[in-house]
Amino acid sequence: MPEMSYAEALRSALREEMSRDPRVFLMGEDIGRYGGAFGVTFGLMDEFGPERVRETPISEATIVGAALGASLLGLRPVAEIMFMDFVLLTLDQLVNQAAKARFMFGGKASVPIVVRMAGGSGTGAAAQHSQSLESLLVHIPGLKVVMPSTPADAKGLLLSAIRDPNPVCFVEHKLLYKTQGLVREGDCTIPLGLADVKRDGKDATIVAGGIMVPRALAAAERLALEGIEVEVIDPRCLRPLDVDTIVRSVRKTGRLLVVHEACQTGGWAGEVIASVGSSEAFAYLDAPLRRLAGADIPIPYNRNLEQAAVPQQADIEREARAIVQARI
Amino acid sequence: MATPFIMPKFDMDQENATIVSWLKQEGDSVQQDEPVLTVETDKVAIEVTAPAAGRLAAIGFREGDVVPVTTVIAYILAEGEDVDGLPSPATPAKAPARHGAAPAAKRVTPVARRMAEDLGLDLGQMPGGSRRLTKADVESLRKSVPPPPGKAAATPAARRLARERAIDLREVSGSGPRGRIQSADVTRAADAPHAPPRRTGQEVQLTGMRRTIAERMQASFREAPHISLTVETDVTALEQARTRLNGRAGGEAGPGISLTATLVRLAACALERHPYLNASFQEDAIYLWTEINIGVATAVPDGLIVPVIHGANRLSVTEIARELQHLTEKAQSGRLDLADVHEGTFTISNLGMFGVHQFRAVINPPESAILAVGAVTRRPVAAKGGNQVVVRPIVTLTLSADHRVLDGVRAAAFLQELVRAIEAPDTLLE
Repeated sequence: MPEMSYAEALRSALREEMSRDPRVFLMGEDIGRYGGAFGVTFGLMDEFGPERVRETPISEATIVGAALGASLLGLRPVAEIMFMDFVLLTLDQLVNQAAKARFMFGGKASVPIVVRMAGGSGTGAAAQHSQSLESLLVHIPGLKVVMPSTPADAKGLLLSAIRDPNPVCFVEHKLLYKTQGLVREGDCTIPLGLADVKRDGKDATIVAGGIMVPRALAAAERLALEGIEVEVIDPRCLRPLDVDTIVRSVRKTGRLLVVHEACQTGGWAGEVIASVGSSEAFAYLDAPLRRLAGADIPIPYNRNLEQAAVPQQADIEREARAIVQARI
Repeated sequence: MATPFIMPKFDMDQENATIVSWLKQEGDSVQQDEPVLTVETDKVAIEVTAPAAGRLAAIGFREGDVVPVTTVIAYILAEGEDVDGLPSPATPAKAPARHGAAPAAKRVTPVARRMAEDLGLDLGQMPGGSRRLTKADVESLRKSVPPPPGKAAATPAARRLARERAIDLREVSGSGPRGRIQSADVTRAADAPHAPPRRTGQEVQLTGMRRTIAERMQASFREAPHISLTVETDVTALEQARTRLNGRAGGEAGPGISLTATLVRLAACALERHPYLNASFQEDAIYLWTEINIGVATAVPDGLIVPVIHGANRLSVTEIARELQHLTEKAQSGRLDLADVHEGTFTISNLGMFGVHQFRAVINPPESAILAVGAVTRRPVAAKGGNQVVVRPIVTLTLSADHRVLDGVRAAAFLQELVRAIEAPDTLLE
C-alpha cells in the first residue's frame, strides 16, 4: 500500500476512473497544464488529452451547467470549483437543476456529476476564499455532500462519488492536500454514507469532519494522557449522514461533542446533535450535547484572528474535558 | 450613610456567635447602645447593642444562625435612607482594626469553594473553627438544604439507570454542575449498602455552649493525662462553722453560706502553697499563676458553665458566698459577662446535692486540676484516738490533676492540706 498525499490520492482516483470509464471527464479552471489551483489534476491533461481534461472560462455557473447537461446525456463529468466560495455562483445549476432533475423526471433522468471544491480556512486567503459552505449544501435534498479527511478516504470516496448516479458535492480541504497517508491501490471504493471510527474511546464521542478530524485525533492523544479516552468519528459524508454509527458510539460513551469548521449557526453539527438527541442514545446521555464550530463571522485575513475564528486542537481538548468531567 | 451592623467579636479567639433572639425587628427604630439581639458565644450569652441610632433594616440572619464574627448581620438606616445598593448582609465585613487582628475569613479548599458555587450554597452559614472547610462540609451543607420542589436535575442516562434500578432520584446526591445527577451518581447510590431503617429519635442541634463543652472536654481528655486521688474527710467541724456563720448572718438578708462556698475558701488558701494545682500546661512551659481564681461548675438549662470567683484566696467566706450567689443567678438567667467566666485557675464541681457519693471530674482546660465534691453523708467511722465507731458527716473529695503538670505526690500533698483545713476550719473561715 503506497503512501501518498491527499492531492495525489484524489488524482489517482480520477486517473483510475478515467481509465476505467470513458464517460468520465474533468472540467474546471486551470486544471490542465497548471494542474489546478492545488495541483490535484496535474499531469492528467498529458495523460488523457484536452478533450477529457477540459479547461473552462472563469465561470462557475458554466462549469456546473455544462456538467449537468453532459450528465443528462450520459457522461460522467467531474467539475472542479477552485475555491468553494464560488460554488455560490452555481447554486441555480446545482440546487434548482441538478438536485431536482431526477425527481422532476420521475426517475428517468440521472445526474451523475461530481463537483469538487476546495474549502476551509488556514491559508490567509481572507473571507472570500476561506469559507466552509458545506452546511449550506447539506440542506439541499438531492445533493450528496462528501468531506474526506485522509488520503485513503479521499480516494475511496471520490471513486464512489464518480460512480454515484446523483450529484455529489465533494468538499476537499486546502490544508489537507499535502497531508500524507497510506492509500490502497486499485478499486478501493468507500460507500457514501458510511462513517468511520477513527479512534476508539469510551468516555466521549467527538464527531468531526474534514480538517477537524486530525485536530480531534491530536486532542484525543493529549486527553488520553489525562486518562480521558475519546472516540473520534469522521462521518465522511455529511449527506447522507451515518447516524447509526454516531448513535451507537454515543450510547456507549454518553457524551457527544460535534466539531466543525463551518460557522455554528445553521451548521451541520446541529443536525448531528438533533439526530442523536432524538435517538435511543438519549437515555444514555450523561452530559449536554455540545458543538464546537467556527465563529459566526467572515473569516479574518489576520492570521491570529483566522486561527481564533475556527476550532483548534486546544479548543477541542477543553470542550471534551468539560463534558467528560461533568462541568457543563 | 447606612451603618453596617456587624456581629461583634467578644473574645480574642472567638470565631462565631449563634443568634439566640432578635430583641428588635426589621424596621424598628433603635437608639445607639440599645440592645438589639442576644447572641451566644462559646462561653456566654450576650446582648449586642446598636452601633448607631436609626431604623433596623436588612436583617440577614435568623435566630439559631451561626454567624462568623465581623459579618454584617443588618444595617441601621438614618432618616430617609433605604437599603437599595447596600451589599446584602452576610458579606463578611472587615474586622475592626485591633492589634492587627486579621479578618476572620473562612478557610475553604478550592474544591469546596467550587462545589459551593456550583450548588449555590453560602459557606457563610457553615460553622467555622480553625479547620479548613472541605468537600465533605459542602456535601453535608448541601444535604441540609432542602431540595427545590419538583424534579431532580439529572442527565437522561441517570434517569434511565434510576428507572432500571428502582432508585429514587430525589435521594441521590448529584456530582454534576448545580448538583445535577450523573449516571455514576445513580450507580453509586444503587451499589451503596442499603441504609438500615431510619431510627427514631430527636436530633439536638449543638448550640454554642454544647459544642464548646464537647470540644473542650474532648481536648482535655485527649491531651491531659488525668490522675485522680480520692480522700474522705470528716466535715463535722466545717458544718459547725457553717452553722455558726449562718446563724450570725441569720438576721441579715444575705445568702446562706453553702458547703461549696466554704470549700472555695479553703481550697483557695491551700492553693497558695500548692502552685502546681493552680497552673496551666502550655506548649513550651508550665505556668504557675499568681492569681487564684476558682471556678464553680454550675448547671444551666442546657449545659454547664463555670463562673469564676477571682482572687478567692483574698475574699472572706461571706464574700465568696455572696459572689457565688450572684454569679449563679446570672448564670441561670444567661446574663454572665465574659469577665465572669474568664481566667479560672482551679475548678470545684459539687454534685452532692444530687446524692452523688463520689465522682471524677474532667479537668477544665487550661487548668491543671479540678476537685469533685460528693454528698455529705453520715457514715460510721473509727473515732480519732480510740477504738470506738462513731457516726460522722463525711464527704468524699476526688481530685483530678494533669499529670503533665504534677505528680501524685504533689496532688496528695494538696489534698492533705485541704483535708486538714476542712477538719479544723475555724481560722480560715473567721
